[in-house]
Amino acid sequence: MSAEKLDALFGDLRDADNPVGHAAILAADERHEMLAEGERLLDAYGMNAEFVPAAYGGRLVRADRLAEVQRAVWRHDPCLGLGYGFSSLLGSVNIWSAGTHEQRTKAAEILLGGGRIAVVFHELDHGNDFAHAECAAVPSDDGWRLTGRKETVANLRRAEAMVLFARTSEVAGSRSHSQFFLTRAELPADRVLDLPRFPTSGLNGVQLGGLRFTDCPVPGTAMLGRPGQGIENALRAFQLSRAVLPASVLGSLDTALRLALECVHERRLYGGFAADLPYVRAVLARVFADLLAIDAFCGVGLRALHLAPEATLYAPAVKYLTSRILMEAFEDLRAVMGAQGYLREGSYAMFQKLLRDAAPAAFSHISLSACLVLILPQLPRLARKSWLADQAAARQLFDLDADLPPLDFDRLAVGMPSGDGLIGVLAETAERESAGSPVGRFAVRFRDEVLALRDQCAALAPSDLTIGASPEAYAVAGRYTVLLAAAAALAVWRGDDRQQEAALLGILDRLSGRLGGAPVLTPDERASAEQALFDIAVERFQDRRLLDLSARRVSG
Amino acid sequence: MTATRAGAGIEAALDEALGMLDETARRSVELDENEQFPADLCSRLDAFGLPARYVPTEWGGTSSDHEELIRLWRTAARRDISAVTAHAKTYLGAAPVWIAGNPEQARVIADAVLSGAPVAWALSEPGHGADLLSGSVTATAEPDGYRVDGVKWPINNATRSSHVTLLARTGQEGSGRGQSLFLVDKSALQPGTWRSLPKVRTHGIRGIDISGIEFDGALLPADALVGPEGSGLETVLLALQLTRTMCTALSLGAGEHALRLAARFTAARVIQNRPLAERPFPASVLARSAALLTAAEATSLVAGRSIHSLTAEMSVTSAVAKALAPTLVDATLGELAELLGARSFLSDVYEHGAFQKVWRDHQVVAVFDGSTPVNRAALVQQFPRLVRGFATGTADAGGLAEAVSVGSPVRPVDRGALTMLSRQGCSVVQALPALVESIGSRPTPTGLVDQAVALGAMAEYLHGRMAEVAPAARPAMAAYELAAAYELCYAGAACLHVWAAGEREHAAEPLWQDGLWVRAALRALLARLAVFLRVPVPAAGPGDDRLDGALARLVVDAATTGAPITPFGAPAPRTLQQGEDSRER
Repeated sequence: MSAEKLDALFGDLRDADNPVGHAAILAADERHEMLAEGERLLDAYGMNAEFVPAAYGGRLVRADRLAEVQRAVWRHDPCLGLGYGFSSLLGSVNIWSAGTHEQRTKAAEILLGGGRIAVVFHELDHGNDFAHAECAAVPSDDGWRLTGRKETVANLRRAEAMVLFARTSEVAGSRSHSQFFLTRAELPADRVLDLPRFPTSGLNGVQLGGLRFTDCPVPGTAMLGRPGQGIENALRAFQLSRAVLPASVLGSLDTALRLALECVHERRLYGGFAADLPYVRAVLARVFADLLAIDAFCGVGLRALHLAPEATLYAPAVKYLTSRILMEAFEDLRAVMGAQGYLREGSYAMFQKLLRDAAPAAFSHISLSACLVLILPQLPRLARKSWLADQAAARQLFDLDADLPPLDFDRLAVGMPSGDGLIGVLAETAERESAGSPVGRFAVRFRDEVLALRDQCAALAPSDLTIGASPEAYAVAGRYTVLLAAAAALAVWRGDDRQQEAALLGILDRLSGRLGGAPVLTPDERASAEQALFDIAVERFQDRRLLDLSARRVSG
Repeated sequence: MTATRAGAGIEAALDEALGMLDETARRSVELDENEQFPADLCSRLDAFGLPARYVPTEWGGTSSDHEELIRLWRTAARRDISAVTAHAKTYLGAAPVWIAGNPEQARVIADAVLSGAPVAWALSEPGHGADLLSGSVTATAEPDGYRVDGVKWPINNATRSSHVTLLARTGQEGSGRGQSLFLVDKSALQPGTWRSLPKVRTHGIRGIDISGIEFDGALLPADALVGPEGSGLETVLLALQLTRTMCTALSLGAGEHALRLAARFTAARVIQNRPLAERPFPASVLARSAALLTAAEATSLVAGRSIHSLTAEMSVTSAVAKALAPTLVDATLGELAELLGARSFLSDVYEHGAFQKVWRDHQVVAVFDGSTPVNRAALVQQFPRLVRGFATGTADAGGLAEAVSVGSPVRPVDRGALTMLSRQGCSVVQALPALVESIGSRPTPTGLVDQAVALGAMAEYLHGRMAEVAPAARPAMAAYELAAAYELCYAGAACLHVWAAGEREHAAEPLWQDGLWVRAALRALLARLAVFLRVPVPAAGPGDDRLDGALARLVVDAATTGAPITPFGAPAPRTLQQGEDSRER
């Protein structure tokens, strides 16, 4: 099983008669339903096995392979991506990392039997503020009794089982919540009420549900890990999900860019094709560069889960920056698509759906500012001890095709990372590359930025390491993520001679633009890099190849 | 609304006429969901007398002040941008007739508009919407008039309208003189020679009549021709100078709507035991959003007033305003959506799900009536004159003073003064260096002088770069970026001008104290300018660190109490929801 096989099952998206093609996907979206035919296809493919570790009978060995398959789903339909795949993944990761052998076996049975596991964490009043979640379980003779509400949970009504997050102690702090792994059948029907569906604009087909528990008995054996371990479990699991989700969502940008490329080669403007306009070419080239940057950063972030699982800030950094870039890329494409990007009908109707789906995909799960809050407390120490002192991580982290040791859920750490092998790449590159070459100039620019950032990190006040941080501190964390992405791109390109240098220059130009200040490239260098990027994108589009780093051939 | 302005109270009167906010809020989301036309709101706008404001006084209307019309559209758009998009289309459809029509045509269209009939403007065609030169609808001369064939699509009001102003080819394809404008009375067309095309399903503005019209040998009388044969494109481009400027009101309304929704949410939302609004980062998002909305407001109001007093510059002004306002507001909506988190896309949870609707709806503003890239291209073509005008400091001092005196009476519009290309460039920007100098020589809030000087320096640098742009039929991307920078420069200059002109009159208002709004706006604009110009962001000035907190507090207060949320804003009706979820628990 592989992304190729999945693509083959989906067939030609543009074929109007394809029951899982664009027309069918859009029709389901209009009805606010999941594409039933698509769910059957994923059943037939055995998608749930992707979420189950090999030790428990599934195919989950490598995070990057998992993301590659999910990306193929997102490329077709983000509703399937989130509603079929991601929610069960997110739920089950907590079980693989914190469950007993029995719990893991049970979860594997449910998933491999085609069932779903919902992630019952969210309360509308608290959002990302898990530590203040109210839904509470109090000890009883033979377990717990649960009271409270959970809201906007994907697939809740259709899920056979759930991982539930509830307060188990009145004490404030990070050890006051626990997780429970429950099947719906275990809960007495008169103590659990399904709330009406929460309709959405974006990811229309995904069914968000809610539950109201009233003194609902929960067996003691349902607890995942120890009492009070709920937040720690969640943070551990999020290490995986926060890297896998953005890598998956990228599939939707691939499709959107492909639609835009098609559109500008079809529409006639001012005596030529829209694709002849330098503005159009530059915008599409830049979006292509953004897409490649996201892929490289995600790729490294996913490999780090295997090779440097203690580097806990890479996952939120990947989630933050790639989501930000993705949203902006969609905005850029929207300008090029014009009215075609606004119509729910016609050849390009898929675009407006992808646009609408992008936002909830980008900031559901965790908000972007919450990602920065996770990063901030780590920065001063890393800046002082690691940056420009530690060596670059081993090449293995950046060779996206190289083997990986199996994912070890027990090693997905929470807490302080000891080093920062990505930032080390920047200094190393600055020393290696000749100072006059464009790549060398970029490396110097980024290394100088590390120096500046180091001073800024040293100056952060204690309050800047919390949710109460100043906007300037948030900006520091944001700049740090840009440097990580630049390091990832530089290192990935160094290890993969199939990738063109023009693309790297385009990526670095976009990333350094996020840091502000004087540009590294001259206007001519930028124009020529963008021309080359546009040409590569068009060639990929015409050859029916993916626009991501894999350049894999697809059927449509 | 400012206490001293002529016609004060008219926005409040419109709000009153529109009815209870909670009722219209719930209803507009429901109609959008069901793809139903916002008929109630549109008829309330009719009953208020809005259509008469689309008709010049010489033809029996009350259209005398474009600032006032922008304010009224904003007032309605902050409830439901869809309804205003539908209603305002009549202003757009009729505009070319006032410019180029004969008295009989003007009377016909005036009667129609005054009776509440919608008018459509049929420009776009399938396959090449923005490219007016390549229109393929033809009007072939016949002994008694013209025979029209072809499809206009997608067109706002195409089906509901009684009249359509139609651009059709009468001459050579692709030629500037090959198109003519016609006033089509649909009721006078022979049945079977035309038909309405079905409603187009759209991402936002789902309820309004975006459809099309197909002509198949439709016969128009000779007197349907508006202006001389071959003048259609020119008439359209002149009319667009008015309509593009006015469309910015939709962005102001959408931006205000979203900002009030988000501000109320941040006041009610408690994260880690403190309201979100009191945390520095969310406060900075609110402040930046308010600052950018304020910049859009200054731009829109100055541009709208320029229709009266800097009429000959509208080729520049309209392109700047139409590119800038939706861009700033789209960016603001994106930031506010992040602040709202799940409530930005849940469609029945928070305040009736209003945010997701305004977010989708507003995205059409950057698309219709000339998209952002189209307007930037139009601006690039005018770079040489703008560079010359900036170098000489040319400005129409009298016209400029009137344009920036927001709230004061305007002179009547001389439509004959509209020109295809502004000869004197753009007074608002060209007077910036002199304004910076004068601000430096009078008592000014802390930090403002530094910002004004920084803006002046950026403008100087920008014009140097614009001078290097070689004229080209297809400008390079770098030229578009300079156009975007020019828009921001215009916005900064507009802010400074209206601040200097209004500072004394508004001194008692909290947003004006210590130059709060103008400093926040300039700071936000300079940061964006630095991105487009690829130069460092100017260092923070003294007192800059207090701007966010002060502005965010005023924004939250305005959103909660219904006070104006921008320096030239109007009080808003209060909602019963007050930042709470409207979904039943």
